[in-house]
Amino acid sequence: MQAMLAFQNAPPFAAPLRFFLTAPLFSLAAGLLLLAGGPDLLASRWTPGLLAATHLITVGFMLQVMLGALIQILPVVAGVNLGDPLRVARWLHAGLSAGALLLAGGFLLGQPAVLSAAALTLGMTIAAFLVVSGRALSGVPTTSPTIRGLKVALVGLAGAVGLGASLALAIAHGWTIPLPALTDLHVGWALGAWAGILLAAIAFVVVPMFQLTPGYPARPSWWFPRLMLGLMLAWALAVYLDSASAIRLIQALAALLGIAFLLLTLRLQMQRRRARADATYRYWQLGLGGAIFALVMMLTATVWPPLADLPGWSAFAGILLLVGGFMSFIIGMLYKIVPFLAWLHLQNQAKPAMPAPNMNKILPEMAMQHQMRAHAAALALLLAAAIQPQWLTRPAGAALALASGWLFFNLLGAALRYRLHLQKLDREAPAA
Amino acid sequence: MSHPKTPHVVDARYMEPPEPFVQTMEMLDTLKPGEKMLLLLFREPHPLYKVLKQNGHAYETELLADGTFEILIWR
Repeated sequence: MQAMLAFQNAPPFAAPLRFFLTAPLFSLAAGLLLLAGGPDLLASRWTPGLLAATHLITVGFMLQVMLGALIQILPVVAGVNLGDPLRVARWLHAGLSAGALLLAGGFLLGQPAVLSAAALTLGMTIAAFLVVSGRALSGVPTTSPTIRGLKVALVGLAGAVGLGASLALAIAHGWTIPLPALTDLHVGWALGAWAGILLAAIAFVVVPMFQLTPGYPARPSWWFPRLMLGLMLAWALAVYLDSASAIRLIQALAALLGIAFLLLTLRLQMQRRRARADATYRYWQLGLGGAIFALVMMLTATVWPPLADLPGWSAFAGILLLVGGFMSFIIGMLYKIVPFLAWLHLQNQAKPAMPAPNMNKILPEMAMQHQMRAHAAALALLLAAAIQPQWLTRPAGAALALASGWLFFNLLGAALRYRLHLQKLDREAPAA
Repeated sequence: MSHPKTPHVVDARYMEPPEPFVQTMEMLDTLKPGEKMLLLLFREPHPLYKVLKQNGHAYETELLADGTFEILIWR
């Protein structure tokens, strides 16, 4: 009955699946870029290769999965329907994939026309998504911290992409702008106001549900999205006023706010009632550890700024936050969502003689655990490469490519087993 | 388990899906006219809301300080 019920609200599997299957290919490409580019890529945060690799991960992997998952879960966590989810998924996926490729290509080739095309493609795609999702969410009363978080995160997405597209156009056309200050602001909006708030909004629902933990206390959950967005707006004002001390103070407060959310999640996880440590739980542990460490590094650098100028400091913190933090949270959730959706869609069409296979058959736990070890090894090598790029950049790139390829293989396997079972259903009971 | 709002309570806070939904539907079947039931969860059950509306049930949700959503359901 639950399956039937959830199914009524569920977009077709093909809607989110295309995002989930494409995303690992982008992080695989980031790994190959490090493998091909070698140590020169990590010479500074401004090398074209590192900018390309970073955006392959943030836009190609993270944004891809986040928006694909949103299409899927909006009906469940907010009671919102996007109208025709498959149609939205088609153009959103095409725009995001093309935009991520153009952006990486634009950085790598140093071609203004390609960079401008990337800015326009991503800018227009995200603007269209904001219209569709904003319209759907605006009709929903804000009855939970999750719904508030989703609404505020969309503002964050608008700011992050608006800043990013402006930066890309400025670089392409040689406009004179305060590049470092605006780039930091873009990073703050992308990871704090968008990805951070979205992560929290979803965590409020999925951490207690998947890991059987206590709930997030209501008051801080209500405040977190607005506080984070407020800090990002204040950061933008401080950049406009060119106040370095205000920027540092705001960065420190944003890091503290992030750490508070992550520590709270860690505490809830310690009180969980599910005895078994599955791949999702382990991925979240890794993500929490990585993200807390990264934010403590950022906090320390706001107190003592010369730290950030140490060779490898920014790269180390960035890798910890993106590959250690966000990628781990995202893969951990993919490993719950993909087998569940496959099972849900099969269960809905199951015949008495051919029940849906259980989720562990669709995506075996051992396959997820092994892939997680590859991801952890890639993270360790990438962090070591930030300190010792000369010897380790290429092995770290190879390891990231391997872990991403393995993720792709695992998710593709689940999709193929889903399809195989559907075909069997069609063959076995054509008249039913 | 009883509660000041009603003696008919499903505390589904540490249950895995689909148990909260199944137990809620089972309890709704046992309610006599005029009786209410309470569902406790750490999230808002939007898919359940949809079914309740379709079946002609009314509900009222309150979020408590510890993150519990109290969903009072009646016909």
